Amino acid sequence: MKKLLQEFSKGIFMENPTFRLALGLCPTLAVSTSVVNGLGMGVAATFVIVGSNVIISAIRNFIPGKIRIPCFIVIIATFVTIVELIMKAFLPALSNSLGIFVPLIVVNCIVLGRAEAFASRHGIVKSIFDGLGMGVGFTAALVIISAIREILGNGTIVGLMVARSFEPALLFILAPGALLVIGLLMGGINFLSEKK
Amino acid sequence: MLNNNLTVSPAPHIRSGMTTQKIMYIVICSLLPAGLAGVYIFGLSSLKVILISIIACVISEVIFLVLRNKDPKTILDGSAILTGLLLAYNLPPGVPFWIPVVGGVVSIMLGKQIFGGLGHNIFNPALVGRAFLQISWPVYMTTWKNPRWALDAVSTATPLAREGARSFTYMDLFLGNHGGCIGEVCIVLLLAGALILLFMKIISFHIPASFIGTVMLLVWIFGGNEFFQGDFLFHLLAGGLVLGAFFMATDYVTRPLTKKGKIIFGIGCGVLTVVIRLKGSYPEGVSYAILFMNAVVPLIDRHTKTKVYGAQTGKASPA
Amino acid sequence: MELNQLFMIAISVIFINNFILSRFLGLCPFIGVSKKTEPAFYMGLAVTFVMTASSVITWAVYIYLLEPFHIEYLRTLSFILVIASFVQLVEMFIQKTSPALYRAFGIYLALITTNCAVFGVAVLNSEMYLKTTGNPLKGLLFCATQGFFAGVGFTLVLLFMSGIRERLELCDVPGPMKNMPIAFIVAFLMSMAFMGFSGFRF
Repeated sequence: MKKLLQEFSKGIFMENPTFRLALGLCPTLAVSTSVVNGLGMGVAATFVIVGSNVIISAIRNFIPGKIRIPCFIVIIATFVTIVELIMKAFLPALSNSLGIFVPLIVVNCIVLGRAEAFASRHGIVKSIFDGLGMGVGFTAALVIISAIREILGNGTIVGLMVARSFEPALLFILAPGALLVIGLLMGGINFLSEKK
Repeated sequence: MLNNNLTVSPAPHIRSGMTTQKIMYIVICSLLPAGLAGVYIFGLSSLKVILISIIACVISEVIFLVLRNKDPKTILDGSAILTGLLLAYNLPPGVPFWIPVVGGVVSIMLGKQIFGGLGHNIFNPALVGRAFLQISWPVYMTTWKNPRWALDAVSTATPLAREGARSFTYMDLFLGNHGGCIGEVCIVLLLAGALILLFMKIISFHIPASFIGTVMLLVWIFGGNEFFQGDFLFHLLAGGLVLGAFFMATDYVTRPLTKKGKIIFGIGCGVLTVVIRLKGSYPEGVSYAILFMNAVVPLIDRHTKTKVYGAQTGKASPA
Repeated sequence: MELNQLFMIAISVIFINNFILSRFLGLCPFIGVSKKTEPAFYMGLAVTFVMTASSVITWAVYIYLLEPFHIEYLRTLSFILVIASFVQLVEMFIQKTSPALYRAFGIYLALITTNCAVFGVAVLNSEMYLKTTGNPLKGLLFCATQGFFAGVGFTLVLLFMSGIRERLELCDVPGPMKNMPIAFIVAFLMSMAFMGFSGFRF
């Protein structure tokens, strides 16, 4: 049990996909304009990571080594398609605002990275916890970035006004803001970890 | 006291009797008349903007220097004051007090110190601050004031923004009798300052000449209803072209090194300015054009670099 | 005027909606291969080639396979498979026919098999042009144009970035900001400069 928790928590802190490994940055920057979008993207990606981890781990002994990457991609693409269709049916507004970044989960390096580095070498239960940890770590990073951008750029948090006299800086919900926030956050994290 | 060894710069150091400090203060002095004219035209509120902007820049520079354990006396080189002055010159006269504060902090922190301070920055710090403000608070950054003596004192447009219904004579534009940014309106005093800098060989004519020449040529060809009917004098005198071409595109750190490179840089700025003015949604394109070309400077330098005499391959660097 | 529309597509994907600076597609190679100018240039060429070819191929897949059989929901799956196998084929072909070219381009081809810029342009094409344009050949023209010029815009920004990063080597960047963080700050500044092009009308 302790080992499983370790697999889970490493994705959130020590090997956080966004801040530590700098993986999956494209969707992180593109959809983090509001907390709702960030959360939606995080949950969708978590579903795909866990799902593909389970299937790949279950059939890992049947996949020939040479064509494993194409096999992984097919499995991942299947889960992405499921997410796409579910989102379109039940959350059309979210699906609209995430746009092409829902199908783009298929080329998210976190997903393929976990399949290659973990699920193809470990058992199902471990892979579930690994996938959950990575997914939660990714979601947490997305929520942090999108909260910063939403507060500074729109003056709201999850749609609620922060302070009446605050005049939001539009830049933060536009493209340059995403690059600025991620650059400063990465620098800040480097600074803190160097200090330790 | 201070020596020129304070600036550690990857560019070739200026090899003359001039110290960086001296140059900075000469540039500041050459800019002052145009700023005073702006204060005279738009009233004391613009003096407030200028002072706040300079103070914000100086204070953030000192804070950053202390944080990085550098000698805070570096502040005396005048570069932060110049950045603050140029930033204020690029702001509309009636902005709320916190606009120049934010602009100054962004200019110094994100435009300059994050790269390692004077001599290391890739982009012109004052323009970084201005672009940040323009994108963040577009309403404040496009609310202009008329000159003090005009009947409707607030909310007007710059001449560039309403070129269709023109109500300015060339003389008005030349003297600064119209709405605009604080430091860009009084063309005659800007030109006087620029002449001093040219005469003292602090700036060379390559960038301003190619920049302004390209703008005028392209406006003449494409700016009118038919080819070769554009009003190029209007595009020279209205907006920030003179301020940008003489005082911001020529910034020592963010311009190319060679003559050929400077001319390429100037032409690039000119083309982009005209394209943004005539086709973009912003009425003014000078600052975006210079920022864009700042990003290209390392590539320009790479391809116009003088070959080392006797070197075997073109790859050898003269550094 | 089709020529006009094509020109507008080109300007749009190079400057206004640049794939890197505004759509955030292809950030991994942008950060990873931008330390030196020459590799950046080859990377850009490889991406441009693959983007153009993928645009054409996925157009064919969509028009001749997905639409006639009403299986558009397989778009994600089929596109990624077709693109990945195409890149693999090109890689093998170059390896056999021109080892010199392979040495210059091979590693980049391998890197962009699952690049989000390449897959992204295919998905964008299908959203923007495949469903709306009645004439399939016109759709092909639009897709190929968008693919090619998206690659050009990608290369342009990658080159600017590599030039700047070569210069940054000599700069006294604060310790924690070195490498990736400062690269993002530079990208932020470039993205602001590119905002000047927003709202172009021709």
